[in-house]
Amino acid sequence: MRVLVEFIVSLASTVGFGLITNIPRRSLLPAGITGSVAWVAYYVVLQINHTLILPNFCAAIVIGILGNISAVLFKVPVNIIYVPSLVSLVPGGILYLGMRSFTLGQESQTTVYLFNTLTIAIALAVGFVVAEVIFYRIKPILFKLLSREKDQNSSSN
Amino acid sequence: MTEGITEDDLISLCGKVGKILLTSGAETSRVESTVEYIGKAAHYDIVCHATITAIFVGTHNQSRTHLVKVRLGDWNLQKVDEINTVSRKFVAGEITVAELKAAIEKIDRKVIDFNWPLKILGAGFVSVAPMLLFKATWVDLGYAFFVGIFGYLAAVFSGAHVKTPYVSAGFGGFVVGLLAAALQLSGLATSAGNIIVSALMPLVPGVAITNSFREIIDRNTISGVVRAVDAVIIAGSIGAGVVIGTSLIQILFSQIGG
Repeated sequence: MRVLVEFIVSLASTVGFGLITNIPRRSLLPAGITGSVAWVAYYVVLQINHTLILPNFCAAIVIGILGNISAVLFKVPVNIIYVPSLVSLVPGGILYLGMRSFTLGQESQTTVYLFNTLTIAIALAVGFVVAEVIFYRIKPILFKLLSREKDQNSSSN
Repeated sequence: MTEGITEDDLISLCGKVGKILLTSGAETSRVESTVEYIGKAAHYDIVCHATITAIFVGTHNQSRTHLVKVRLGDWNLQKVDEINTVSRKFVAGEITVAELKAAIEKIDRKVIDFNWPLKILGAGFVSVAPMLLFKATWVDLGYAFFVGIFGYLAAVFSGAHVKTPYVSAGFGGFVVGLLAAALQLSGLATSAGNIIVSALMPLVPGVAITNSFREIIDRNTISGVVRAVDAVIIAGSIGAGVVIGTSLIQILFSQIGG
């Protein structure tokens, strides 16, 4: 039940950011689903492992693989899927909190928040690299499946 | 393939392609590879180097270089997609150079956007952060939906009227801080802090900072560092705006209440 609520809210948030950043209409739904599946992955891993790095890393791998697959399927640059689906994971809120404590002159809090931002951003970026390595392994299989489908379509027509 | 375009024309066309891509939010590696693909398809040996503030385009066998200056722009990923589609068609040989040129001119001039009600709805959805589900109260998240819309509108509106960089982000933060503090002090909301963090989601440069680390890992160190510093300063101006907004409301309420 709770997972369902998380899924719906993150779907809304991803599609919303897609609207703000003006992504092509045909990629709104794939981006939304990528973003919300990644958020659910984050949530599930967070229940097992209460750190910053592992949940974000796993979510980034999910985005990387699903994003690349939907980029091939819907013929869009992969960045268009990445940008909106990252919005619920990204350390924007923590970066703001850090800079706010900086404005208020609270040094120790500033350091904690900025380090958290750095950790999350690096975990996400490394997750993407790993996901791309995995994707290049499964890419030939995906293309084979796609071309078989196309053959079937053309023969049935 | 090569008929109808000189080397100079092709270079300036490539410069334009790069500029549109970079201002609309593509990564530098994509800009470079797209431009070089177009050059290869037109049978010229184009080299392209893109940083976040400038693009250099030239050919291998001559010494002239075309330099295009770029300012960081807003996200407009639709343009990235359209350029990508056009350049793919060109590389596949489906359209000629003249058609490519016309298409790029058209994309450059066209204002592609979702309509305002949709964008406002989008900003509202982003403002309900999944990060705060079951941590903030549902009422607070409901307020965040509307506060986020006002913050986003304030940032967009001031961005269109004030040319000084970072003012729009600061003004968006100011409006969010003002409204959230007012909601808490008037007793309607439980926690202004939760509303602020949630409602700032459309403004905060979280995606930019993640992309900057992706660029650094990709060895585009210059653009990565520029993006990261830009993100930190945007966050700083939002933070300053929020602090000013909340303190203003606190002073106001203490005057009325006292």
